[in-house]
Amino acid sequence: MLNLLLDIVTTAAILFTVSAGLLIVFGVMKIINFSHGAFLTVGGYASVVVAQSGFNWWWSVPFSLVVGFLLGMAVERFIVRPLYGRPLDAILATWGLGIIVGQLITLAFGRGVQMVASPVNGAVPVFSEHYSAYRLLLVVAALIVALALGWLLNGTRLGLQTRAVIMNEGLARALGISSSRVRFLTFCTGAALAAAAGTLITPLSSVDPNMGVAWVVGAFMLVLVSGSSLVSLAVASVVLGGAQMLVSTFVDPVLGGLTIAVLAALLLRFRPEGFARG
Amino acid sequence: MADRSVSLPLAARALPAWRTPVAIGVVALVLIAVGSVTMPAFLINNLIRAFLYAVVAITVDLLWGYTGILTFGQSAFFGIGAYAAGLVFTHVGFSLPLAAGALAASVVAAWVVSRIIGWLAFYHGASPLYASVVTLVLPIVLVQGIYSGGEFTGSSSGLSGFDSFDVPLEAWFCITGGLLVVVAVLAWMFVRSDAGQLLVAIRENEVRCEYLGIDISRYKRKLSDVAAIVASLAGFLFACIQMVVAPEYAGFVFGTELVIWVALGGRGSLIGPIFGTILIDVGSAYLSGSLPYVWTLLVGVAFVVVIVAMPRGLGPIVAVGARRALPARARRKPAPMTFTVAPERERSDIGSLAPALSVHDVRKHFGTLKVLDGITFDARAGELLSLIGPNGAGKSTLMRCIADGSERSGGTVELGGTEIRKLAPYDCVALGVGRKFQTATVFDSLTVGEALRVARNRIEPPSRWRRETTLALPQPALDVLRLTGLDRMADRECRYLSHGQKQALELAMVLALEPRTILLDEPTAGLTKQERTQIGEIFVSLSSRYRLCLLLVEHDLEFVQQISSRIIVLHQGRIVMDGGVDEVVKSELVRAVYAGETHAAKDASGDDA
Repeated sequence: MLNLLLDIVTTAAILFTVSAGLLIVFGVMKIINFSHGAFLTVGGYASVVVAQSGFNWWWSVPFSLVVGFLLGMAVERFIVRPLYGRPLDAILATWGLGIIVGQLITLAFGRGVQMVASPVNGAVPVFSEHYSAYRLLLVVAALIVALALGWLLNGTRLGLQTRAVIMNEGLARALGISSSRVRFLTFCTGAALAAAAGTLITPLSSVDPNMGVAWVVGAFMLVLVSGSSLVSLAVASVVLGGAQMLVSTFVDPVLGGLTIAVLAALLLRFRPEGFARG
Repeated sequence: MADRSVSLPLAARALPAWRTPVAIGVVALVLIAVGSVTMPAFLINNLIRAFLYAVVAITVDLLWGYTGILTFGQSAFFGIGAYAAGLVFTHVGFSLPLAAGALAASVVAAWVVSRIIGWLAFYHGASPLYASVVTLVLPIVLVQGIYSGGEFTGSSSGLSGFDSFDVPLEAWFCITGGLLVVVAVLAWMFVRSDAGQLLVAIRENEVRCEYLGIDISRYKRKLSDVAAIVASLAGFLFACIQMVVAPEYAGFVFGTELVIWVALGGRGSLIGPIFGTILIDVGSAYLSGSLPYVWTLLVGVAFVVVIVAMPRGLGPIVAVGARRALPARARRKPAPMTFTVAPERERSDIGSLAPALSVHDVRKHFGTLKVLDGITFDARAGELLSLIGPNGAGKSTLMRCIADGSERSGGTVELGGTEIRKLAPYDCVALGVGRKFQTATVFDSLTVGEALRVARNRIEPPSRWRRETTLALPQPALDVLRLTGLDRMADRECRYLSHGQKQALELAMVLALEPRTILLDEPTAGLTKQERTQIGEIFVSLSSRYRLCLLLVEHDLEFVQQISSRIIVLHQGRIVMDGGVDEVVKSELVRAVYAGETHAAKDASGDDA
């Protein structure tokens, strides 16, 4: 029972970490960044590079943040910016970018599956049970992501401008806020977060050129039901991630894999604002 | 019963629109027949597959390129058709009746799934993004279903080794090529027909379509049902020919590939997606062996470049290049559209005692903020009623509450004696209300004539296969076109019209609906003085000559004074005054409310004098 509870909490934490970057991009720019999956993959390979170079695993977190941010800069400038008024086309172009990144990675690293050793091994005692130390570490990571984003949005001048752009872009521009700068930095931050999330999930699974695709659809659905709020995303991660764990455990693992997508689609049909306050 | 079909004997002349597509189709069939005996087997094998993919690509183009519904789910219907064949042939066996049964099963399954998807994705007020999400979830769910089907569905390795038709490859080549040509010709005739213009109208402006009385959700559902069935047919043939089915053919990656082919070929052109699909798919067969990964990389790069820089795809570029390279030949221009008078329909409301519009205790609030509070008034045929009041008085909100049953928070609205309940805008149009928006909303890439054709859609259902050269319009709409000179610009695309012309066109479109009540939200905003006088005369004639009921929101008090028969003053969501023009304009209360302060109002009236 406790084990299931921990599974739900850690799953929610992973989902939150993986989706946070997509959420802030959607919230500010109102576009769905399907290259989010590619950024996750890039983060995964960043940790492979760090491991192959002989550095400690922990270096891969800052490394992936930097790589993701730089990649985000190029993508925002050349692909996302021209499509700002065409949200459906932005989905397609970023999906196409995902194909490009996947093929480049395949050419550079091969098709094969790579493994990255976990930085912390074994299980730690939690009350009466033993639980994977790394999964618990991811809960801490999710909290750090949430706090860092919360601080960025609510404690900085840029965050204030970002919230202004989220609420009313036209007015924000009229007040002298450079919304294109806000969008640029938002996208880069989202990309950096995605890459870091990719690094964080690699010790749990393997790294392959298409690893991001498996995650991006779930993250996409979570973001759609969360609107532009981090709190809603946390709620959605717990509720839908919890539903996924419950269905996987008690009904069928394959159905569990569908839970998030199907529940989110149905939720949006009857309550288009999802978990966000309408 | 009134004569609902308004086609005049004159209007029976139609362009032989079917001639070109059918002629090209016949040529294509001959080429395919010749190719089947001359081409190498490897190419034929690949072309068979590419033809079937191209059939699905046509459905993607109709949904996405023409109508604007970005779909990732056509692969799922292809998969449904393929698995219907694979499952029956594997588990029941192969015979001709069984194959017919499998075909019927695939069509029924595709239709049922499409109904469910349509119910989910297309409803009044649904966002286009949500529709895409649903089409994305469908193949994911389907593939997981196939995975968990175990022995029955063959799980991840799919089904193979079943018997199928014993037909030589060349014959399959002709059959699939024939299917592609037939589907392409039918699609071509449809998109060029009068009914096909509606697809573009929906893509360009859904809201305007709804206020032209068109239930776009229903239209989209029907279109996607047809697309689903066609895609499942292609999938069925695919399984019969390849004698193998696998989950990838139903998956969303295949769904996105279809979109990529359509985008590269040129969305919204039919021919572009067909060639895009065939070239890329056959190209992959030849090149992915020698250039592993690089080929996919190149396609990905081309896709991104096309989406960002050439949204219309490569097809139009090739077409323009070919036209330049070939010797110039006189292109036969289609005959210009002419307008005729639609016979007047019998109208039961004339002389009836029920007011054209009756608003009773209408309220609208956002949370605790009351935007409208207890609005009650009647308006009769022949009245030109102006709503005035300062910004934020609730004028535009009131207009919305009359034209869309789901807008108001309380109270009743009756149109010609019928309550609108919670009806959607397109059903309110059927009750006799037409709404012109504040900023003129037209369909940029349709011509003036086509836009008016779309507006007549509700009253005179358009042909699915032909394009009529005449369009019958009610007299008031014709008057507007004539007065503004638009009747001589029937073939001009709306995007090239001036602001004033767009306003006039939108008014003519609303009048084409033959409404009894017209809602006009600031119809003179941004017009020149001359245009303003002209449109004022039109309004007066609509109310006095054609006995329409006009409800006008207007800021220009002078204009209101000149044309209105009655004025209602709104202030902070309430009616503060309702009476004749002189009475209202001269009242101190109105000066105070409308101008905010008495002095400004005095100054304004001083200028008028």
